Amino acid sequence: MANPNQNPDLSRRQFMKAAGLVSGVAGGAGLGLFGYAAGTDPSTYLGWENEEGAIQSFNRKRFEVDEPPYEIVAGTSRPDARVEQLFERRARFRRAWRTVREGGEFEEPLKSYYESHPEIFELDRLNVEEIMPALRADREEYGRRFLLADAWSNAMGAVQPRPVSGPPDEWDFPRPRYDGTVPQPLNMKDPQKTADLIKKVSHQFGSTLVGITRLNPDWVYGYPISRRGFSNLDEPLQVPDHWEYAIVVGVPMSWDPLYANPPFGTSNDAYSRARIVATRVAAFINALGYPARTHTPGTSYDLMVPPIAIDAGLGQQGRHSIVITPELGCNFRPAVITTNIPMATDKPIDFGVDDFCKTCKICAEQCPSGSITMGDKIDIRGYRRWEINSASCNNMWNSTLGPMGCRICVTVCPYTRKANWLHKAALKVTANDPTRISDAALTGLQERLYEMPDPQSYYIPSLGGENASYREPPWWLKAEDFIDFDSGESDAGV
Amino acid sequence: MQVFNSGAFWFVEGILFCLMVIGLHLWAKDKSIPMTWWKWAIFLIWVCIAGFSIAFVGTSLGENEAGAAMRGGLFFGIVSVISGVGVWRLLLIGTKSGEPRQT
Repeated sequence: MANPNQNPDLSRRQFMKAAGLVSGVAGGAGLGLFGYAAGTDPSTYLGWENEEGAIQSFNRKRFEVDEPPYEIVAGTSRPDARVEQLFERRARFRRAWRTVREGGEFEEPLKSYYESHPEIFELDRLNVEEIMPALRADREEYGRRFLLADAWSNAMGAVQPRPVSGPPDEWDFPRPRYDGTVPQPLNMKDPQKTADLIKKVSHQFGSTLVGITRLNPDWVYGYPISRRGFSNLDEPLQVPDHWEYAIVVGVPMSWDPLYANPPFGTSNDAYSRARIVATRVAAFINALGYPARTHTPGTSYDLMVPPIAIDAGLGQQGRHSIVITPELGCNFRPAVITTNIPMATDKPIDFGVDDFCKTCKICAEQCPSGSITMGDKIDIRGYRRWEINSASCNNMWNSTLGPMGCRICVTVCPYTRKANWLHKAALKVTANDPTRISDAALTGLQERLYEMPDPQSYYIPSLGGENASYREPPWWLKAEDFIDFDSGESDAGV
Repeated sequence: MQVFNSGAFWFVEGILFCLMVIGLHLWAKDKSIPMTWWKWAIFLIWVCIAGFSIAFVGTSLGENEAGAAMRGGLFFGIVSVISGVGVWRLLLIGTKSGEPRQT
């Protein structure tokens, strides 16, 4: 038998041989695991990564909470869309304004609302009488710069699925087949399997994220809004029995244009895709014999979408009032489908957004119109939440050229970042840090390392700005690089 | 550029890291610098800091954030250099003169 003490070289050699064997096995196993990971990586489904559900990869189970992460502080109530839904109120304002200016009065409920909210009246008046005329004038002078962005935005919004045009008790239910028979609800075996099925097909239909919740009636408008098939807009909206569940689907806006807001970005790209997804999901549910109704951006809603997305576990409300998701930050344009097909529901999640937003405030500092509060949450209809001034926010939308909007709060939010290692690591830190020390550290880095333009420079020149954008537009939206404006024949579309 | 986002790249990166560790091991042995477990741990932490600094600059440039690349590179670079000097002095602990032996 060999004595190692007498033959140290042999001992070393034996060790190296054993180490080589172990390394070979470990390396081989590593390669096998690497190969397995590469073989199952959804991002290898080129062009279909999204439809395979690859992006909704955040481990929500770890952050599930029993109650949604917003506080109920008093008796709750439903919002009155006639005055509290910005676009509905402004449409009513414009219809009534000429009469009012000539000495008439607003009709109810606008009259009472403006009496109790004179600051909102002033913002609505400002929009119609000053901002919109200034925008029209500046579009003539500076609009060419945004010609490609306008064309892109219009093209993205050009595809319109069949809009909802009837009340829930008629519109939501399956249409008769060609032979006149009406599909009856099929017996679904198991609510969990149905939920899995709905989520899978939602991804297949193009949704980036999807969540399911029971519909809280508080999120349904107290009165219907225009273009939803209701004959009397002043008759209270009864929540139909078949609006038992809400499925939330949605997609992000294109990233490079987003970073070029205001407003080389557009919402139309995501709106259009979210509409198409929601219409497909509703059609799928109808085909199983169940009622379904879409509530989609760009057409109209019977309800408020953000709190439903929170209930469905897709994210949490941020200081800017928008839902922040783990995967997309607040670059998420959702739509909702209400239905009664029996499904297992998701739990809300709490991944630290509330604490982070209390510290961060970057969106409030960068908001050109000061519409985002630097202060605390307030109580609205019994819920404690952050609230923005939607009237001054919308006035800012109308103070930029190109595809309408501002979106600076979405753009500058530290959660709205590309899903690379750096920002994924930051998300992991904020989501898992019980001390919350990282909130201040990461906010400090964001403020000191990343350039932030002067918020007032985002306005159109007539309103004191410079048509600035947060970042340079992508090369394919720089109109001056493609179009010869000096020839005098390039005014189309401006 | 896709190759740098591939598994093959990390495989090569792993080989390079191993060679670096072997090189440090042999260098320390030649200089009679005792490498304890905590020295290796500190060295690995420093490698992570320095690697993060370099990767931050590259990532920021890739994101079209040249300003962040410059400011971040400066900040994390200084942190890396200062901590690198500290790590160097810690590595020398245990040698007779506190300096590496000349061979």
